[in-house]
Amino acid sequence: MTASTQPTALRPLLRQTGAGRSVAPAHGRLRPWVAFVAIVVLAFFGLTYGRISLDRSGFMLETLDEQIAAEQAHHFELRVEVAELRNPERISQAATDLGMVFPGRRVDLSVTPMGAEELDPEYRWAQLRALLGAQP
Amino acid sequence: MLRWGGGGTTRCVRRATDMRRRRGRGRSGRVLVVGAVLVLGWVGLGYRLFQVQALDAETYAAQGLDQRLRREELPADRGTIYDRDGVELAMTIDAVTITANPTQIEDPAVTAAALAGVLGIDAVALRQRLSGDGQFVYVARGVAKELGERAIAVVEQRNLTGITFGTEPQRVYPAGSLAAQLIGFVRSDETQQGLEGLEFAFDAALTGTPGSQVVERDQFGIPIPQGELIVEPAVSGDDIVLTIDRSIQFAAEEALAAALDRTGAVGGTVIVLDVDSGEVLAMATAPGFDPNDRRGVPAELFRNRSITDLYEPGSTLKVVTIAAALDQGVVSPATTFEVPPRFLVHDKTYTDVERTRSEEMSVAEIVAKSSNIGTIMVQDLLGNPTLHEYLLRFGLGSATGTGLPGEAAGTLHPLATWCDTTCGPSTAIGYRVDVTPLQMAAVFATVANDGVWVEPHVVKETIDAEGNRSTSDRVERPVMSTHTAETMRRLLQGVVEIGTGYRAAVDGYTVGGKTGTTEKLIPGVGYSATDRIASFIGIAPIDRPEIVVAVVLDSPHGEITGENGATAKLEFGGVSAAPVFAEVVEAALHQLGVPPDGG
Repeated sequence: MTASTQPTALRPLLRQTGAGRSVAPAHGRLRPWVAFVAIVVLAFFGLTYGRISLDRSGFMLETLDEQIAAEQAHHFELRVEVAELRNPERISQAATDLGMVFPGRRVDLSVTPMGAEELDPEYRWAQLRALLGAQP
Repeated sequence: MLRWGGGGTTRCVRRATDMRRRRGRGRSGRVLVVGAVLVLGWVGLGYRLFQVQALDAETYAAQGLDQRLRREELPADRGTIYDRDGVELAMTIDAVTITANPTQIEDPAVTAAALAGVLGIDAVALRQRLSGDGQFVYVARGVAKELGERAIAVVEQRNLTGITFGTEPQRVYPAGSLAAQLIGFVRSDETQQGLEGLEFAFDAALTGTPGSQVVERDQFGIPIPQGELIVEPAVSGDDIVLTIDRSIQFAAEEALAAALDRTGAVGGTVIVLDVDSGEVLAMATAPGFDPNDRRGVPAELFRNRSITDLYEPGSTLKVVTIAAALDQGVVSPATTFEVPPRFLVHDKTYTDVERTRSEEMSVAEIVAKSSNIGTIMVQDLLGNPTLHEYLLRFGLGSATGTGLPGEAAGTLHPLATWCDTTCGPSTAIGYRVDVTPLQMAAVFATVANDGVWVEPHVVKETIDAEGNRSTSDRVERPVMSTHTAETMRRLLQGVVEIGTGYRAAVDGYTVGGKTGTTEKLIPGVGYSATDRIASFIGIAPIDRPEIVVAVVLDSPHGEITGENGATAKLEFGGVSAAPVFAEVVEAALHQLGVPPDGG
């Protein structure tokens, strides 16, 4: 219907403007409409594109969130593994398997710090004997 | 234009015209009707459109939103329990849970065989579960991620129906049985409710506050990007940092387990206390259990004997009696007594082990040889009220304040109920008083800490979700003078160097302590004729005290033969518990980096 009515509507306009200028003015009149339609179409596509981009970003964020959760879960699993590896029981067993033993005889080397009063074992024993009175 | 001719022709034309008019009228009538119907229809549609889009727009929008919006609970992460070095002792991870709908399973035998093979569970039991009439059964819970992925692959490969995979939080204890009674455990379900130990005592702090989110999802449950999303985040539970040193705890548990093997004791406990701070460096109970797998473990093993088990301390309590007498100036270490082999008080005769004749003994000797009669003579000079006062000062008769569940306060009878005959003497040598091993460890820590009692505690600090750290206030009180405490340490050194506790000697360090042996009191029955509680509590190093170690063994039996061929009964604390003390002290002092003092 639009196709048939449009020329009819334009006919009086053509008659008024004259034969020599019958096409160019029509274009001039159409130009704003074409521009308007183009803007509307562009705006539509622009909005659609924007919306799609946002949605795509949303999906990307969703994926990132899932990756973060997975990495966090993995991090926790690794923490558990490290804690298990640091378990003294495991280390003790591993040391035993490697043939490590406590030394049978221990020798302690003690160095009296500079300026510190050396504690004589005989002096300490004398103190104890004095405390114990007649005891050997 | 018709040209038919004659009147007939005219009539025909009129008739045709009439018919056309009538037909035209009829057509226009139908057009009007159709037009009216269309108009009414459009009006109706327009009204409906107006109603939907304008009048009831909010209602319908809300209904639509309700269908897409889902309110979901965000569970709070349960806090982690760390040792003093920040190593995890208890934490929560996501584990795979496999469930099944038996009504959807085509062949239970095939499904059970396939899953049991992967998961390492009993195929027969699983087949029975899968053959039931119900619509929900657990196949396996707390499955490790790798195992879960293999199970998923098997289900997909064999196209097994009715099997569902999900995740739920699982509490894991990476150190296994280490400090199991102290840490406790939680329910196996998603509530993760603390049931025992610190998990129970600090359940509210560890649990945190669950959050919620309102999220817009499509028909497949997938969140709609840019859709509605209102998040009220969950607040994670507090982390708890313990005072426990993993290595010292392990050494204590190892030494204790070996002692149980060696002595046949039914149970035992070892406590290592930091003298200055009151921090519990180790709290071991044997036999133990693995909180990761509690199936078939008797509930009795869940008990933390260090704080729940009451016993009469016996000779280890003589420290309080002698310290009170020294502090009050009633006696000095050199004060001597003529100590008979038997001592009758009212209707009860007190004796000393392996002594058959009277002997002149100084207070130092009374402590070193753990003389019951000598201690009773000192107590006689001290008097009941003063002894009772010092027992209270040392914290007996009230819980230490660790906050651990089930901590017993012990029994210290009110002074008004004390009889004038045997009550004082019996209390002085460690009977008529019920204590926990931790209370006694705190008594010795007071001696080690220059006479200041410090509240023992197992929680070093708590860390909230925002990382704020909080510690509890230090609780302490003076009990006796510094001089008295120093003198007591010398007397305790004598116990190890020349007295009943020589097996507690540690190579390279000078230590002091006190042995204890009491008949086991069985509630409702009386004293056991065969079972004893053997204990040794001591201080190391004695010159510059760092730690107190308490060892209590329940019902050790048998004998050991010494290097000189003499036998010794393991029921005595000096025989069975003192060597455990020495082992633990050596390991603990090395771990703490305390240099040898040449002892």
